[in-house]
Amino acid sequence: MFKEHEKLIRDWEERHKEEFKKERKPEEEFVSCSGIPMKRVYTPLDLEEKDFDYIKDVGMPGDCPFTRGPSPTGYRTEPWAQSLYSGYATPEESNRLWREAVETGVETIYIAYDLPTQLGYDPDSLEAEGEVGRVGISLTTQRDWEIAFDGIDLSKVRISQVANAVAAFQIANLICLAEKRGVDLSKIRGHCQNDILKEYLVRGNYIFPPEPSLRLTIDIVAHCARHLPQYLALSVTGLHFSEFQSTPVHEAAFMLADLICYLEAALKRGLDIDTIAPGVELSTGVDHYTFFEEIAKHRAIRRIYSRLLKERFKARKPESLRARIGGAQGGNSLQREQYLNNIGRTAVAAVAATLAGVERLTLRPYDEQYGIPTPEAMMVATRLKYVITQETDLLDTVDPLAGSYFVEWLTSEFEDRINKEIEIIAKQGGALSCIENGYMKRVLVEDAYNWQKGFEAGNIIRVGANFATSEHEERPVRVYRTDPKVEQERIKAVREVKRQRDNRRVEKALDDIKHKKDGLSTRYGRKQSYALHRRSRQVLRDQWGSCGCPERSLGPVCSSSGFLERRNSGEENQSSAS
Amino acid sequence: MGRKIKVLLAKVGLDGHDRGIMMVAMALKDAGMEVVYTGLHQSPAQVAEAALQESVDIVGISSLADAHRTLAPNVVDEIKKRGLDIPVILGGFIQPEDIPELEAKGVSKVFGINTRLDTIVSYVKELSGQ
Repeated sequence: MFKEHEKLIRDWEERHKEEFKKERKPEEEFVSCSGIPMKRVYTPLDLEEKDFDYIKDVGMPGDCPFTRGPSPTGYRTEPWAQSLYSGYATPEESNRLWREAVETGVETIYIAYDLPTQLGYDPDSLEAEGEVGRVGISLTTQRDWEIAFDGIDLSKVRISQVANAVAAFQIANLICLAEKRGVDLSKIRGHCQNDILKEYLVRGNYIFPPEPSLRLTIDIVAHCARHLPQYLALSVTGLHFSEFQSTPVHEAAFMLADLICYLEAALKRGLDIDTIAPGVELSTGVDHYTFFEEIAKHRAIRRIYSRLLKERFKARKPESLRARIGGAQGGNSLQREQYLNNIGRTAVAAVAATLAGVERLTLRPYDEQYGIPTPEAMMVATRLKYVITQETDLLDTVDPLAGSYFVEWLTSEFEDRINKEIEIIAKQGGALSCIENGYMKRVLVEDAYNWQKGFEAGNIIRVGANFATSEHEERPVRVYRTDPKVEQERIKAVREVKRQRDNRRVEKALDDIKHKKDGLSTRYGRKQSYALHRRSRQVLRDQWGSCGCPERSLGPVCSSSGFLERRNSGEENQSSAS
Repeated sequence: MGRKIKVLLAKVGLDGHDRGIMMVAMALKDAGMEVVYTGLHQSPAQVAEAALQESVDIVGISSLADAHRTLAPNVVDEIKKRGLDIPVILGGFIQPEDIPELEAKGVSKVFGINTRLDTIVSYVKELSGQ
């Protein structure tokens, strides 16, 4: 049969030789972002080369290996859930924004914290100077939580958060608030970006060294598996690798290598894979410029995940074998220049995510390159969901691109390349070792540098930035900026909490953190006492030490030029602590 | 040919975005300069101390979380406090309306997002008289 295909193709190529010469660039320059040569056309021969087996490699939607998506009906039952990553400086301001968002149909509040909150500082910590409320909400005390979620039903709205280093503190806050309101904990839904490993590589918001941090992550996963069965307590994130400008292959491979590291740590602790796996989510990047790579990447990730959980981790429940994927457009894909073009980029990314079969999707507001998005831009991102889900026929058929010679070939190619990279990491001892020995960061920096050079040479095009540029900057009418006065307001607010709370209970709670084993339940006690982040952080830092290791291993950047310690010691200024 | 230009690159404050500063580090190294990188989460005093210890020609700081209005002038002041005369350049997510104030407070030059790497390399060379 394939002899005939070969003849057909050879004959076709012979007849069109002259036309091929007129293509807009030489053949070797048609290469995907991940460095995969892109052929002019794909045929059954390409699938044959991959040993493609529909039943084994693809199967039916909702069945192993989940290549065709997580559910048998896809979006015919429910479109992807829209989440809006947001947070204005104060609990009061964010409460207004979120209540309004819930009224207009947003199902998930996806909390963006300011940096002091993400790093375990209070607004009045010295380290927080100039940073309070700058990039999200300052939300540190239980009082803040009461204000921020006033009038929002925790049993109906999903509460998601980018917490990472402070995930234990913030999940404790969520549990505490739910209990105070009499909300059944089994009804709490949402997800927590509680993926500390990637912080050492690309996001930089870590407090403790990798090992104890990993332990704390597993504490949280174990606690939530027991008490918050519907909550996705571990969202393993690839998004920030692609935000760092990694290739989609490296993004997926590093995310899955991190996942393996978490699951191994959990099993080592004696946890049951079928108890914890249903609480794991994957969070990926979806960008417009890697349209087909995104589709192939997501289909390959689901296939690899299912095989990994089944064969390596011996999971049995179908829920454990099914990858839950929340996609997000990368802010990096947007451009500052001619900022309205970003709406087009977001729409293309949303279509890619839909064809890729994500279950949750975060789309970027068009003015994000100017600062915290304005409410108008957030609303456009929200409505874009409706344009796609209500106006188009994109949702009517499950995994509509399955069987496309190109998409199936690319999916298999992604699977091969991702597995190869996971193997390279495994040979060096896994993700934790590759964070410490600098391998992963080196790969990321190389990817980013290659991209940057390609962009500056004009080989990678961004409209408005290096193609069809404008002479005058087209600026948004309104740019949101945090009022510098907010810092003083927030300092006043936490000082008030300190004045009113029962300090004996605070000391007792902090003492519990020091001596008890189950990280999360003691932090839960801490929240009831209105203790603040800064003190809890210090207690743990005293035990675990500070983290200076990751930056020391940056190979190409730092190896030959001497390197400085991140901090002189684990000591922090005590004057503002309490 | 003079001696190698030596640049200290630093992340000040709590911001963890380091792609930009890594790219600048790579470009400066490719242009033959010596680059010392402090890593994340530095205080202005730590940056100034490092500049003193390493006897660098230029200090480059990076900020993408809108804390530069506080942090960049603090770095300039901490360097002056140590009796040093080292130019400070700032890169990252900087609103254009902040630039005059930053320059008035002693920042030599501000490079916003999408600045080409060769623009930064040329400026550093020029500033070092090479």
